[in-house]
Amino acid sequence: MTQELGKVQLLRCPPGTSFQDEGRKSGANFGIPPAGAMDLQSYLWANHLLQNPPQSVSLEFSQPGLQIAFDQETFISLAGGQAQVFVNEQLIENPSLIGIAPGDRLKIGAFQKGQYFYLCIAGGFVTETYLESGSDFDSVTESASKKTGEILFYKSRLKILDQKAKVKWNSSWFESPIIEVHPGPDWSLLTSGQQLELKSRTFQLSKNRSRMGIQLEELFVNKLPDLPTNPVFPGTVQLTPSGKIIVLMRDAGVTGGYPRILQLTEESINQLAQKKTGDSISFQLI
Amino acid sequence: MRPYYQQINPTFGEWTWNENPSDQLLSSQLAYLHYLNAQWINEIIEFRQGFTRVSIVWKSPDRQNQFIREIEGLELIPVPLTSKVWQVPVCYDPMFGDDLIHLAEEKKISPSKIIELHTTPLYRIHFYGFLPGFFYLNGLDPLLYTPRKSMPGASVQPGSVALGGSQTGIYPKESPGGWHILGRTPLSLFDRQKQPPVWAKPGERIQFIPIDVQQYHDWKLSQPQFVEQ
Repeated sequence: MTQELGKVQLLRCPPGTSFQDEGRKSGANFGIPPAGAMDLQSYLWANHLLQNPPQSVSLEFSQPGLQIAFDQETFISLAGGQAQVFVNEQLIENPSLIGIAPGDRLKIGAFQKGQYFYLCIAGGFVTETYLESGSDFDSVTESASKKTGEILFYKSRLKILDQKAKVKWNSSWFESPIIEVHPGPDWSLLTSGQQLELKSRTFQLSKNRSRMGIQLEELFVNKLPDLPTNPVFPGTVQLTPSGKIIVLMRDAGVTGGYPRILQLTEESINQLAQKKTGDSISFQLI
Repeated sequence: MRPYYQQINPTFGEWTWNENPSDQLLSSQLAYLHYLNAQWINEIIEFRQGFTRVSIVWKSPDRQNQFIREIEGLELIPVPLTSKVWQVPVCYDPMFGDDLIHLAEEKKISPSKIIELHTTPLYRIHFYGFLPGFFYLNGLDPLLYTPRKSMPGASVQPGSVALGGSQTGIYPKESPGGWHILGRTPLSLFDRQKQPPVWAKPGERIQFIPIDVQQYHDWKLSQPQFVEQ
């Protein structure tokens, strides 16, 4: 039995737009990073709004300008940051859940809050999976990101959703500057003075950021030794000999050689993902 | 040789071997990895291996607590390492080995001496990391230890054989990289169409076999051959 596939075309696709789901739970033993939505919580929420099956692939984007054309009636959901969203040039007041008519064009305008967005479609996008995930990653999936002009397919499923029941778009959860962390495996290599400094200082997010990691602006002077290469995870905070602090994110390699001084909680990885360059954060040990 | 378990947070901990990477350490580590696979796999979200640690992410704090209670006094017999040696062809011609001449000048030895020092050891594969299909090797000749480049190269070609610090390895795909490039292998290091996507396992060894430019271009096999040694 073949299910009818719907299709959408990316009329304009900003760099860094990719398919993401919960990521890969295996493959680290071959050096394959988990990938997956930078802000997993918002991804899950967008999927939940449409009552899609778990692990349905979403379109993740982190820059304004995305434009999509639809060929049939459907529903889409949006979660993550806050942005101006237009359908056929009409501003949508609450774009959490949007009913789409054939021929509609969606446009993402300026971002007001947040950094990562998740667009899900009723039934879920269809893509090749590897190790039970459709998350794009170079050399593991066909391409690492989507491109302008590309056509995406989805499992066409028209179930009338109660649009009145839609919840208000809320992004306050990621606005707190407090990032909860556990001590990392190499925390004890720091002096007590350095440990205190890490807990009391404020840091800013630098413009050096990607799905692999987020570098902080301020240098943290240290004399930690070179260490043998050992496992790292999304949320591992590395300290380089030159004093750079790098928080590893979803696409980071599975091992690293810099001291692993802190480990973000799962919630604070999502929270940090939504911070913008220049935002201030401080680490709170739990 | 016995690791100690360090609980790092309620659902995360590491077995730690406090010594330099070696065959003995890997033998011990493989025994502990097999034990995890055999006894605890249903309680674990995932585990990862590094040179001196095995990191474990637990499904719940209770499971980690139970594990900590049960491994008290645990001492496993090291797993003997395999005699399998993969023969990896490498073309050390300067057309591929961007940094070979410069490295030779810096070390005040000839390029052919560098090649000899690089092709003599049998390198032990400890684990995969950094990129899909990148294996970490132990056994580089200390004469070849070289600090990484201060400015990483913009783009390293797939198959590039390189060294940095006390490490040597092969870039499986195009990537920025801070290591010094000695040559290139015609082999494929990672193939998502194959199951598993890599041909070598941790514990096996790698020997680099020098080939010339013609042999490089004529090379047909995507996997190396192996010998028992």
